[in-house]
Amino acid sequence: MSDAFYDDDNFSDEFSPDKDLKLGVWTQLLTYARRYPKDLVMLALCAVVVGIAEISFPLVTRWVIDDIGLYGQDLNLLGYGALYGVLCVALGGAVLGFLWFGGKLRSHMSHDIRRDGFANLQRLSFAYYDERPVGWLMARMTSDCERLSNIMAWGILDLFWSFTIMLGISGAMLIMEPVLGLIILLSLPLLAIISRYFQTRILRSAREVRQTNSRITGAYNENIMGVLTSKVFVKEADNLNKFGRLTDRMHAASITNAVQAAIYLPIVLTLSALATGIALVVGGIESAWGLISTGTLIAFLTYTRHFFEPIEQLAHWFAEMQMAQASAERVISLIQAQPDIQDSQAVLDRLAQGQANPAGADAFNQPIERITFQGVGFRYNTGKAVLHHIDLEIERGQSVAVVGATGGGKTTLISLLARFYEPTAGRILLNDVDYRDWSLQSLQSNLGVVLQSSHLFAGTIADNIRYGDLSAGQDQILVAAKQAGAHDVILAMPRGYETVIGEGGSSLSAGQKQLISFARALLADPQILIMDEATSSVDTLTEARIEQGLRALLKDRISVIIAHRLSTIRHASKIVVIDDGRIVEQGNHDKLISDRGRYYHLFQQQSLSNLWRQAEPIDAGQSNGI
Amino acid sequence: MQAKAEHPPRTQALWPLFLTISAGFRGPLFMALLAMIASFALLFTVPMITRSMLDQLTGEAPDTYLTWLQGFIPTGLSDDHALYMQLGLSGILIVLCTALAGYFVYLRGKQIAAAAEGMARRLRDTLMNHLNHLPIAFHHQADTGDLIQRCTSDVETFRVFVSGQIIEIGRAVLMLLIVTPILLSLDVTMTGVALITMPLLLVSAVLFFNRVKSMFLEVDEAEASLTTVLQENLTGIRVVRAFARQDFEAEKFGLANARFRDQNQRLMRFLGFYYGASDIVCLFQVGLILFVGAHWVLADAMTIGTLFAFITYEGMIIWPIRHMGRVLTDSGKAVVALKRMAEILSEPEESNLEQALTAPLQGHIKIDGVSFHHPNNPPVVSNLSLSIAAGETVALVGAPGAGKSTLIQLLLRLYDPQQGSLWVDDFDLSQLSRKSVRSQIGVVLQESFLFAGSIADNLRVGQSQASLADMTEAVTTANLLDTIHALPKGFDSLVGERGVTLSGGQRQRLAIARALLKDPAILILDDALSAVDTDTEMLILNNLRRVRANRTTLIVAHRLSTVMQADRIVVLADGAVAQIGNHKTLSQTPGIYRQLCELQGQVQQDIQQSRIPHGNLL
Repeated sequence: MSDAFYDDDNFSDEFSPDKDLKLGVWTQLLTYARRYPKDLVMLALCAVVVGIAEISFPLVTRWVIDDIGLYGQDLNLLGYGALYGVLCVALGGAVLGFLWFGGKLRSHMSHDIRRDGFANLQRLSFAYYDERPVGWLMARMTSDCERLSNIMAWGILDLFWSFTIMLGISGAMLIMEPVLGLIILLSLPLLAIISRYFQTRILRSAREVRQTNSRITGAYNENIMGVLTSKVFVKEADNLNKFGRLTDRMHAASITNAVQAAIYLPIVLTLSALATGIALVVGGIESAWGLISTGTLIAFLTYTRHFFEPIEQLAHWFAEMQMAQASAERVISLIQAQPDIQDSQAVLDRLAQGQANPAGADAFNQPIERITFQGVGFRYNTGKAVLHHIDLEIERGQSVAVVGATGGGKTTLISLLARFYEPTAGRILLNDVDYRDWSLQSLQSNLGVVLQSSHLFAGTIADNIRYGDLSAGQDQILVAAKQAGAHDVILAMPRGYETVIGEGGSSLSAGQKQLISFARALLADPQILIMDEATSSVDTLTEARIEQGLRALLKDRISVIIAHRLSTIRHASKIVVIDDGRIVEQGNHDKLISDRGRYYHLFQQQSLSNLWRQAEPIDAGQSNGI
Repeated sequence: MQAKAEHPPRTQALWPLFLTISAGFRGPLFMALLAMIASFALLFTVPMITRSMLDQLTGEAPDTYLTWLQGFIPTGLSDDHALYMQLGLSGILIVLCTALAGYFVYLRGKQIAAAAEGMARRLRDTLMNHLNHLPIAFHHQADTGDLIQRCTSDVETFRVFVSGQIIEIGRAVLMLLIVTPILLSLDVTMTGVALITMPLLLVSAVLFFNRVKSMFLEVDEAEASLTTVLQENLTGIRVVRAFARQDFEAEKFGLANARFRDQNQRLMRFLGFYYGASDIVCLFQVGLILFVGAHWVLADAMTIGTLFAFITYEGMIIWPIRHMGRVLTDSGKAVVALKRMAEILSEPEESNLEQALTAPLQGHIKIDGVSFHHPNNPPVVSNLSLSIAAGETVALVGAPGAGKSTLIQLLLRLYDPQQGSLWVDDFDLSQLSRKSVRSQIGVVLQESFLFAGSIADNLRVGQSQASLADMTEAVTTANLLDTIHALPKGFDSLVGERGVTLSGGQRQRLAIARALLKDPAILILDDALSAVDTDTEMLILNNLRRVRANRTTLIVAHRLSTVMQADRIVVLADGAVAQIGNHKTLSQTPGIYRQLCELQGQVQQDIQQSRIPHGNLL
């Protein structure tokens, strides 16, 4: 897997200062903003009002001061007071407005981007997930979304605000006094260049800080997870040494970042003082000559202090957009990625026609009678071949056990059957029709799958079982739990079926999780039941009980079981031994034992831990006595 | 200050920690404060200069500044030229003062960064060191996520406090302290007008942000639950697909997503009201000065220059005051963060003061009446005695929970027994330093943890000076050499999330090689070959025997075929020794071990039922 997959903020730095902005990416993101035209307009309006109000205050001050000189005692301040009051309220209202509309735009945009991303993630095939760690996807869906919508909302705000201020101030200055105005405007390009230079560097060192920070988090995680290993190898000092290099780097990067900011600010300050100085000298002379009023001079002096903020802001957003470009590209690619496995056009057309007729052409309204693998082969995108020429036929009512060494391709076989992946060679037929001619939904809604590592969701145990059939009532959940041998285990928990389990079922033992996910699969009442080492962590006694119950349940279904414990396998109607991606033996238990092949060899390797499990029920009474 | 009032006792306890952490950095902090005073003093001269010049232009009587400035102007110039000169000099002075102030701003930034980053680094290092030295019992009951949070986010909160909030508070206080006298010197009554809304602004800001704190919390919670739903969906995506529950999931995610959106929006609206309203108050304050001032100017009670200075200074103090509420609320968070870090740091570390082992051990182990239980739990090991001769290979057998792993943890002094004693050679284990004991015992644990890094890096965990030849030898013994050679980068291949994925068996073998590099007197394999197939396991065990025959070896094993080969087999049940002997004697004595053999025999029977001669099976 190439590093490119991991190059989010935490890993590699793909920023280069020469990289130009790709407007295409941003225009695509802008479509998310355009869904809220009213708010967008209001946000821009508020930005303009804020800008105008900020420009107007010095003007009001100017008028007041000038009129004092002009009218002296006769001046009525009330009118100006009213104007000032209106401006105050306008500015306050516009500030409320831009936070209101900007906040709405920002939160709605990140919501919408996330919703679309999530919807696509539900369609994307597992091949997509294989290449991207969950952490990578999480970063796209959380921090990237937030970052981009921040840029979009507040960037738009600042864009309008900055232009209003700049246009307004330049306009006001040029109208009031063209020569002085021009002189001050000349310093703008210089400031723009300096700002851009520093903002880029400041953001880049900020990124270095962020990266190092996530390495530090990683180091804490590793040290805490591996504390036992560190202790037994007496690695405490080494660990600290290694960690010290990381914190040194963090220290250096953070200081660089802070110092860059500390240099930038005084430069801007000095530049604006230069403008103030020029205004004072030139304006002062002009005022002495009577060319401009004192009020104008004061307005100029005030403007020179506010003139530079918009430039700083624009430079900041420009640099931020440049930095976030990679995030934008990744988020867009996530939203637009096409799943490898989806319903073909023919199936979609048929589904569209069948709308009027719910029991239409696609639903398995009659039972799945037969699954046939015809010369099925599979290789991953990486090119690694996992399965070769698999021929296998499973009839309704049959149970097939798949056995073989780890890495031989057992789980892949099941994933193909469930159409989590599609074969890269040969085909899989359901009732003699290629399963690519059925809709995905029709197959997968008839599946019951219990996977190797049973994933449970946060929530109550009842919720988790109900996942198999969302409409199931309490009675049906109880029945399924009993069939799965989970009922007694659940009742032994503090709040029975209403016990809340943590994220990923973390508060349960592996055996308990397996029983609950088994109950979940049974509740789905599937035509095809797939069990991938579904009872590996369950004790033998419980397993034996489950097996008895299962036999009746499986009578009218197709079941495929992967198991290591031979007591589970021996009763299967067919045993398939897979080695290195090929079926090496096929037949029932007795036949395979007498063949003296792989199956027989596996059988001999019965491990002690399995023996312990089998010994426990017999031994339980005695061992207390020893 | 606010937060101190909330948690007075904790703050007291935190003070020593703050002093330790800030030792050596209080100098830079003080320097930063001085630099800040200097920069403000310089920046404040600018409005003064402009004020004087404005007054000069409007024909007021020259003030101190102008009189001083007059000294630089050659006599004999016309009034006009003198004015130009005054203006020019003032312009230059403004630029110089600001540039010098800028230098102090830079100095302040640098000193603050040195202090804040230095303190953050010290906190990180201290926490990491402490975590590495906390007893394993602490780690067993601690929540990893919570620990990491304290070591990262809480450090960050504290760092922001030092780099931002200390200075913000200092700035606001200084502004008031410096500006108020200046204003007073200009016009006493006007100063009263200028400060009239400050208390209102400050109090309402603090009240508001304390109130809004809960809203920030709700946004954080909404984000956390959104993250959880997303994480669960992504990690459980196979289950989602297997039950075709995409719609259900989208609905669940949609709820969390919308909640986060709405909470965010609510917060922004709330902030909007605050900032909008406080803007009006601030502007009202400025307007008050403008109009009251204008009125006074009209009444000839004040000059225009003074009015301008007041307006400028007002702008300098009013916005930081408005910001104070946020600053004080965040400072409260920093106190909480420091408290959370102090909780970790106050946990006692493992003792390591005992006598260190210097000479290599022979490997004789004696366990004498040892009992052990975890706090508030039934005993895991009870009155267990066992003696293992140097060089002996002993297999530990027992049902899960029989005490096998605990016994090993006691040998490594990861825990100390409540009763009885353990001896290695002739040393009482409890009298030896933990590190020296551990450095002479090689352990391969049930779940082998590999560090992110290359294979060579992981091997060097066993022996930091290991040469390539050493590593090759260890890896050969662990039967992993071929696997490593097959990897594109060999020993330099990365393992972990960003590197090659090793199978369970490969990880276990790497862990064995790592332990072997230590060349320990005692080697312990705690279920360390469970993921390795039988043939490879035999090969590795034979290699081990060949490499160093006189090494004491303890094996917690998985397969009867492995156990059979040990010099002695110790069967544990309920934390005590149930049976001791070799395979031959034990398999003939009634008991647990024989039962196991019989069960294995049933498998053999199965095979015999297929009526093929047993002899040519193996």
